[in-house]
Amino acid sequence: MTSAQLFYMFNLLIYAGVDIIACLGLSQQFGVAGVTNFGYIIFQAAGAYTAAILSLPNQSANGAFQSYIAGWNLPFPVPLIGATIVGGLVALPFTFLVGRRLRGDYAAVGLLVTAVMLNLLVTNYRPALNGAAGLSLVPSPLQGEYNPQSTGYQWVYSAGALLLAVGAYLLVRRVTESPYGRSLRAMRDNDLVADSLGKNLLAQRAAMLVLGGALAGLSGGILVGYINLWSPAAWGYAETIVLFAAVIIGGSGSHPGAVLGAILVPVGFEEATRYIPPFGPPGLVEDLQWVAIGLLILVFLWFRPQGVLPERRRKIGAGPPPVLAVEGPNDDVVTVSAWPWSPSAAGEGDGPAVRPAPARLLAARQVAARTAAGAAPSAVTPPASADDNVVLRAVDLVKDFGGVHAVAGVSIEVRRGTLTGLIGPNGAGKSTLLAMLAGTIGVTSGQVIYHGTDVTGLPAYRRARLGLVRTFQLASEFKRLTVMENLLSAAPGNRGDSLAGALRGRRYWRRDEAAAIDRARALLDRFCLSSLADTYGGDLSGGQRRLTEIMRALMTEPAMLLLDEPMAGVHPRLARQIGGHLLELCAEGMTILMVEHELAIMDEFCDPVIMMAEGVVLASGTMADLRARADVVEAYLVG
Amino acid sequence: MSLFLASFGFGLVTAAVLAIAAVGFTMQFAVTDVLNLAYGAVMIASAFVAYTVNQAGVNVWIGLLSAAAAGSVGSVLLNRWIYTPFQRRGSAPITMVIVSLGMTLIIEFGLQGIVGGTNVSYTMSQGPTVRAGGLILTAVQFVIIGLSIVVMAGVHVLLRYTKLGKAMRATSANRSLARNCGIRTDRIVTTTWAITGALCGIAGTVFAINDGSFGATSADLFLVVILAAVFLGGPGQAYGAMIGAVVIGLATEISAAYITPSYKDVVAFAVLLVMMAVRPGGLLGVTAL
Repeated sequence: MTSAQLFYMFNLLIYAGVDIIACLGLSQQFGVAGVTNFGYIIFQAAGAYTAAILSLPNQSANGAFQSYIAGWNLPFPVPLIGATIVGGLVALPFTFLVGRRLRGDYAAVGLLVTAVMLNLLVTNYRPALNGAAGLSLVPSPLQGEYNPQSTGYQWVYSAGALLLAVGAYLLVRRVTESPYGRSLRAMRDNDLVADSLGKNLLAQRAAMLVLGGALAGLSGGILVGYINLWSPAAWGYAETIVLFAAVIIGGSGSHPGAVLGAILVPVGFEEATRYIPPFGPPGLVEDLQWVAIGLLILVFLWFRPQGVLPERRRKIGAGPPPVLAVEGPNDDVVTVSAWPWSPSAAGEGDGPAVRPAPARLLAARQVAARTAAGAAPSAVTPPASADDNVVLRAVDLVKDFGGVHAVAGVSIEVRRGTLTGLIGPNGAGKSTLLAMLAGTIGVTSGQVIYHGTDVTGLPAYRRARLGLVRTFQLASEFKRLTVMENLLSAAPGNRGDSLAGALRGRRYWRRDEAAAIDRARALLDRFCLSSLADTYGGDLSGGQRRLTEIMRALMTEPAMLLLDEPMAGVHPRLARQIGGHLLELCAEGMTILMVEHELAIMDEFCDPVIMMAEGVVLASGTMADLRARADVVEAYLVG
Repeated sequence: MSLFLASFGFGLVTAAVLAIAAVGFTMQFAVTDVLNLAYGAVMIASAFVAYTVNQAGVNVWIGLLSAAAAGSVGSVLLNRWIYTPFQRRGSAPITMVIVSLGMTLIIEFGLQGIVGGTNVSYTMSQGPTVRAGGLILTAVQFVIIGLSIVVMAGVHVLLRYTKLGKAMRATSANRSLARNCGIRTDRIVTTTWAITGALCGIAGTVFAINDGSFGATSADLFLVVILAAVFLGGPGQAYGAMIGAVVIGLATEISAAYITPSYKDVVAFAVLLVMMAVRPGGLLGVTAL
């Protein structure tokens, strides 16, 4: 190899390392967590500028032809570390854009605009970063000790860049393949449902902005140490689109895809076009390059939206339920009882196999303990005091929507172990009542008493953690998570379900994960859906989605379920199966309040039944009682 | 004449250009549900159509009509060939935004490949300087303000007093409900692309006239200013966009006079981010069109 060829190869290797790191960061934000950051390039720029001004000597000592802040002449590796840190920190002010309130596409536009404007600011403001001319003569790492032009130095720099790329790959893989990564993907697929399952959307998105920003900053630091200059022209907003093209083409959400995309698009595509002999007026080839990038994005989004190397399906499998041996570090055997949703079912008496259940209501624990002891469902005995038996009580609940009384003073009681039905014509206020009970919407007046505690002021996710869990009227499965993952995403208290926990690695959370998998397998077995464990949520039939949703709610270890039309749009045979499952659950001690339209369902499964019309409770009792009442028949049953 | 009055006058002209562009953008978004970031690219492509006509010896104000026609046809085709197929597949809003960014690259750099990288100007007279109410502006600038007022009045009449406008408002508020009420929403959407495309073409030409010289990528920054006006008024709200255009137009030009011209667009940017953080629904809150 001639030395020119050799240096060309180094050039390619270093650019590959830089682009791989940048694409991995972007893929983590966009493909895994669903945060569309059209301003990604500013984080790379922040890293490059930081590395530059940390490694440059003071501006007056540097010929004084450039004007910049800092200039501390810091030795390697401080500038590179600074680049990473600043890249991450710069992300923090933008977290307000990706919070709960702003639609994802608005936030993306906000970030795009920010990228354009920051570039404009830096271009026009010379004192800080030398304006449009940019910074030049940026020192290469250790250039005092070694000659950056030597072949040996270039070998080491290329290897270093690629090693850092490997490190970045291992980092994002560790985060993504953890329970926390699953929560990120759940947020990507349906953020509102992830929210209702107790995921903190703002914290998750902020963490991904910072992680991706740090990787972008690192890539900028490596790049500026090699090319020795950095200016606003290097980070136009369109550069972000190139990286997006790379991630989309490689495979959004897939880390091997991000690597492939980085090699194909920013490195391969731009290098390949060098060999096109220039034709037409000056600049034409560059223009056509941009057109081609645009076309590539459209073509891939249309013909192969999953990319060349799609996100792989995480196969966990249904396993052989109901009793499983799970290998932990201490070879503990985790036994799964018939009580997959109960927090202490798997761990009762098994020592360290399962961590102590989160603080729970005494009642739920008693039920669980009974079952763990092998009691048959029919052995559930009524507690001594009748009042203990009321799980949920609504006291004079009122909800006004701008003068309309959607719910006008409803008082109901739901008793333990019942499958209580809630019927009524359209507009009766059933779903509104359910939403108030779950905390999805606030009350105008009245109280919600759960296990004797006033929970009226608690937000939905806090009530969910107390065991009061709802499902939604519309299907809400996570489409690109398997059924198994849909279930696992709801398991509470997994140590790996935080960025810190994920970073500590599999050993730290494998037991929690194994326990959650066992519970999920038992549920799948019970609902006869084991064969679908590795099917994507998006590929399920309507009825299977409903079952998945109910199972997912059960994974949160609820003491009481609020179901909003769980059988709507489901084949009648499957609806009856669902009803059967619900009855079984109730027989085992679960309490369920279910909104339903279908009278046949009510007849068969629900007792008692609460009948609402025009915002108030008209009657309650068994269906036979209700049919005997003239006003009820008038309001609903014949109509 | 005071510095304030002078910058106020420029502000009015900028606001006039901005209002046409922003109202077109926001109506397009409201009815079609596409946050079309290629709007700026279509603007400048239309301005080049007017330039071609102008180079053939036709008056630029007649060229303006050709730009309106080009913007209209271009937007309808953009929707029919690109956006509608993606929407029919159920693409997420964010995918549509990425598609529109891809189209931006294709249109802008395709155009640059054809017309070259150098800036051009219309052949036209700026007309005599006119003084009115303490403002000193060129006749062309007054024409731009007048044109904008006429366009705003036209949009007002369209939305409030015509059956088409009513159907557009209904479609933007709830498309499936509108369809169930007997409105042919597909046709309304296509018509909206045609109307807003025409506004886009007019805005592009007026922008090019006002700026003096322009190139294929000149609208990149102006798109950001348009977005600021749109989000200030609340995305999808025509009257909000008018208010937003006036506020942003005056704010940028007056700050240019008192601070420094290089940072005038940064004011628009700050307004946009503050609005997104504080009141994502815009000044007027959330209502349809």
